[in-house]
Amino acid sequence: MLAFLKRLWTTIRRPSVHYSLGFLTLGGFIMGIIFWGGFNTALELTNTEKFCTGCHEMRDNVFAELKTTIHYSNRSGVRATCPDCHVPHEWTDKIARKMQASKEVWGKIFGTINTREKFLEHRLELAQHEWARLKANNSLECRNCHSADSMDITRQSGRASEAHQRFLFTGEKTCIDCHKGIAHRLPDMSQSAWHGEKPEKMLKEATAFLATRQD
Amino acid sequence: MKRFAIGLACAALLVAAAAAAAQEHIATMRPATPLAENGTPAPMPKPVNSDIRQVRNYPEQPPLIPHTIEGYQIDKNSNKCLSCHSRTAIEVSQAPMVSITHFMNRDNQFLASVTPRRYFCNQCHVPQTDARPLVENDFVDVDEVLEYVKSKEGAK
Amino acid sequence: MSGISRRDVIKAQAVAAAAAAAGLPVPAAAQNLITHAHLTDLKWSKAACRFCGTGCSIMVATKAGRVVATHGDAEAEVNRGLNCVKGYFLSKIMYGKDRLTTPLLRKKNGKFDKDGDFEPVSWDEAFDIMAEKWKATLKAKGPKAVGMFGSGQWTVWEGYAASKLMKAGFRSNNIDPNARHCMASAVVGFIRAFGIDEPMGCYDDFENADAFVLWGSNMAEMHPILWTRIADRRLSHPHVKVAVLSTFEHRSFDLADIPGVFVPQTDLIIANYIANHIIQSGAVNEEFVSNHVNFRKGAQDIGYGLRPENPLEAAAANAGSGDSEPMSLEEFAEFVKPYTLDFAAEKSGVSKERLQQIAELYADPDTKVMSLWTMGVNQHTRGVWMNNLIYNIHLLTGKIAQPGNSPFSLTGQPSACGTAREVGTFAHRLPADLVVSNPEHRATAEKIWKLPAGTVPEWIGAHAVLQNRKLKDGEINCYWVQVNNNMQAAPNMMEEGLPGYRNPENFIVVSDAYPTVTAEAADLVLPTAMWVEKEGAYGNAERRTQFWHQLVDAPEGAMSDLWQLVEFSKRFTTDEVWPPELLADNPDYKGKTLYEVLFENGNVNAFPNSERAEDYENRESDEFGFYIQKGLFEEYAQFGRGHGHDLADFDTYHQVRGLRWPVVDGKETRWRYNGKYDPYVKEGAAFDFYGKPDGKAVAFALPFEPPAEIPDEEYPFWLSTGRVLEHWHSGSMTQRVPELYKAVPDALCYMHPDDAEALGLRRGAEVRIKSRRGEILTRVETRGRNKPPKGLIFVPWFDARQLINKVTLDATDPLSKQTDFKKCAVRVEAV
Repeated sequence: MLAFLKRLWTTIRRPSVHYSLGFLTLGGFIMGIIFWGGFNTALELTNTEKFCTGCHEMRDNVFAELKTTIHYSNRSGVRATCPDCHVPHEWTDKIARKMQASKEVWGKIFGTINTREKFLEHRLELAQHEWARLKANNSLECRNCHSADSMDITRQSGRASEAHQRFLFTGEKTCIDCHKGIAHRLPDMSQSAWHGEKPEKMLKEATAFLATRQD
Repeated sequence: MKRFAIGLACAALLVAAAAAAAQEHIATMRPATPLAENGTPAPMPKPVNSDIRQVRNYPEQPPLIPHTIEGYQIDKNSNKCLSCHSRTAIEVSQAPMVSITHFMNRDNQFLASVTPRRYFCNQCHVPQTDARPLVENDFVDVDEVLEYVKSKEGAK
Repeated sequence: MSGISRRDVIKAQAVAAAAAAAGLPVPAAAQNLITHAHLTDLKWSKAACRFCGTGCSIMVATKAGRVVATHGDAEAEVNRGLNCVKGYFLSKIMYGKDRLTTPLLRKKNGKFDKDGDFEPVSWDEAFDIMAEKWKATLKAKGPKAVGMFGSGQWTVWEGYAASKLMKAGFRSNNIDPNARHCMASAVVGFIRAFGIDEPMGCYDDFENADAFVLWGSNMAEMHPILWTRIADRRLSHPHVKVAVLSTFEHRSFDLADIPGVFVPQTDLIIANYIANHIIQSGAVNEEFVSNHVNFRKGAQDIGYGLRPENPLEAAAANAGSGDSEPMSLEEFAEFVKPYTLDFAAEKSGVSKERLQQIAELYADPDTKVMSLWTMGVNQHTRGVWMNNLIYNIHLLTGKIAQPGNSPFSLTGQPSACGTAREVGTFAHRLPADLVVSNPEHRATAEKIWKLPAGTVPEWIGAHAVLQNRKLKDGEINCYWVQVNNNMQAAPNMMEEGLPGYRNPENFIVVSDAYPTVTAEAADLVLPTAMWVEKEGAYGNAERRTQFWHQLVDAPEGAMSDLWQLVEFSKRFTTDEVWPPELLADNPDYKGKTLYEVLFENGNVNAFPNSERAEDYENRESDEFGFYIQKGLFEEYAQFGRGHGHDLADFDTYHQVRGLRWPVVDGKETRWRYNGKYDPYVKEGAAFDFYGKPDGKAVAFALPFEPPAEIPDEEYPFWLSTGRVLEHWHSGSMTQRVPELYKAVPDALCYMHPDDAEALGLRRGAEVRIKSRRGEILTRVETRGRNKPPKGLIFVPWFDARQLINKVTLDATDPLSKQTDFKKCAVRVEAV
């Protein structure tokens, strides 16, 4: 084994005997394109709705929920697919997300959410990941399609135009702050669920805390 | 009283005259389509999203929802309505707060937050569409009834 | 009264409208506080809600002869001030512009003609033609050729008067209510298991239960105020669990901790699985079972209530059989053994985890469970069996007749209990659970009614579906429909309903407030008063009887059903309609009008008008000269008092917010069969199912059997029908309220988006829904409140323009004769 590696190393170190520098450079260049294209194609294949919904966990849960919402079917027919919201467009962010996705492969293999009941138990956690991501990047994925600058508020309803003027254009809030649940059903939004605490425990802690504040 | 009776009789005659025309199709909620046939279904109506508040027929009537509520989730996980209409949300949303009756339990005692018995808003509050009613309704607002009562008393 | 008539106020409205059009300012009342109390004071009176079986109490405000406002009655136990959206618009239901005000008769050349157009006639002429037709038919073919289709929306005394008129007057048992479409399976289930009709628990169970299981019911939309009590309980007490089982996802799933969408008809399997689980996991309440429960094995393969020549009926081994034989608990355990968790999950499509969670709710002795069901279980070809299977679960665990432990059969209509069931306006019944086939029961009725022995016929009359078939076949020729819209409500309209009404041999009379499709199919239409235009009483699902006074006048020309029935009885004499033998044996009854014999019999006319409340009108009492509602009620109450059906005295009900029968010594009964609460229970007994001779309830071993029609290649979809929150039944009242109409104007075909895509349909596409019997045109909805699974569609039946019952099948539960409106096979095609 060691001898094989040693032979391999010497071969690589040795200058080319039969092939010209140009051939090697061009060949390398072409191979690079092929490899890069192949890599990218494969990567982009994992960025399709078809791929995402290939897993029944996605297809029967979140994708089924999407079908009755405005991001699936609407007046203009312009719809969003899974990657439009969940995969960043920026290459570096995209690759980072893809590396995180290995966790999802793990989840698929070990069935962490392979039944409806398990999915419902994890829904809050899964939702919180996405909300945190969108909050951190100022709803970047939303803005990939919905540009605040291009928003014609005269064509929106009264509530919408007022809310956008007061909070979106001023930068006070980001899209995900108000539009949670726009595409998939909301998880348990109660405080106790969010903090993962039982209500009795929270009440006890709060009482104890307030008792120490002797103003 | 006599004028009353004559007035009524005249009105009755008018009614009779109007109805005297023999009718074939009397089912007013099914305009002009014979029972055995099927008419083209009305196109799906558009939801009213004007945010214009409608006059309530009487104070106790739950206000209609003047905006669309498509996709609004009201279940044990979250209540979309309260995200704008709850007591603490109205500063941001400027929406009307839920009426204080919504804080009262079965024994008419006030609770710290919206009473669970009124949690499912859409059991009492409905949005509207632009569909035109097939039959008009002759309900008279109490203000008009009072106007009439006052005018009658003035005439005496 | 101030002497202002309804017509005056309408004129006033016209004046105001004209003023507004002329640009005159908004009336001063809006800008200035009215200062005279006598003006702003409204007269508030209580009434029962006109709509569902929940039986909310309403406060109704009247002014100058008009209803001007309503709100939920804060003093009522049922709803404590809440209403649903329909209830909040009760003020408007009487004021549709097209209220009927004159009888309408089909005429050609001034005479009645089946093919003529409707012309207004007087009440006299209407009764003339009716009497003529009835007499001719009775003479030619006898009492089996006349029929009446009444209602669970009749007031108590209207149903009672109708029952007397038909059963004792015309001597025909061909009277059946539209409650046959809604509660018949529940009734037979009760009688089989307990010997007496109606729930043993009451609404107080909501505040006591730890778990709620909805079997095929959509309480969020159909019993909204009861749903608020569940929501209140569940959202205030996190340990409480709500399980919802249905054939499609609907609004009740919004509160479900344990949701389950099951394949239609497999509820039979799920219920048997739960019984099996209880036995296998040792959760049987041995003491309760040995003391209070008998087991019986029910007959199987009982058919589908179709016409006898139908191959399914011919193939059934025990068509229509409710027979059973005794069995032991061990044999029962063997019977349910095949219904394992795997089997139930596989057949129903509900996951094992969910099924087990539901079973555990029942099995856990510390969890008080309330089971709730309405049409999903009752409108079912094995509806009686399903009712029994649910009782089995509660009987095995002893979770019955106690606060919070309650198998609760919810009622659809406001008085299916109070009128149809308790008064017995069915083809086989008499008041207070008596039946026409029992000679002792008939004798009791004849005694109370002061009629000769042998007056009440013993033959079982035609039930709802059979009435339609007999109309089509020309066997019933005179038919009176009151307070329902059966052309729209009954199944298989094109093959049975419509041909029956239009059969030239038949004369159809329809009494209604509004011109419905049933009125259009009729020959004579009678304008009818509604709701608070007459003194009335309803009985709701928890056995609570509630009264109201007449609060406003009906439109000029409209008369109440009660007046119509009683007035009509004046047109007949006993000589004309009773057999000569009966009169020969009882010569005192000769030469009397039916009115004298039925309504001036010393009971019904026992109370003078001076006993009426002074501050309320009462048109019927004015017309007949005595307090007729009180007379009818007190005579009717004689049937039940002392027999487990005790009603309080008439005057009490006008004072209180209803009372739950049996009312003994002024005290209502909340939990029947329970020694702590029910005065009829044997001294010292904890429980006593006194409806049965040995005091024991019966659990029935009943298997899964498939429905009458299953989707196949040609008709690949299940069709389920039902209601929506905003509209009551056929929409004849709610569709005339603009706010309710505009909320939901049209019926739709709720469908899974994938199914729509596969058929090349998009939301809003026009489609034809077609079955082997008929078709309708409608539009597709893929994003609505109802989310059917793939392979099933849901269409509500409130829309007169989309008569979905053209498509449905008239298969019934063979024991209850109740139609299965939830299962038939259809195809959906783009138009």
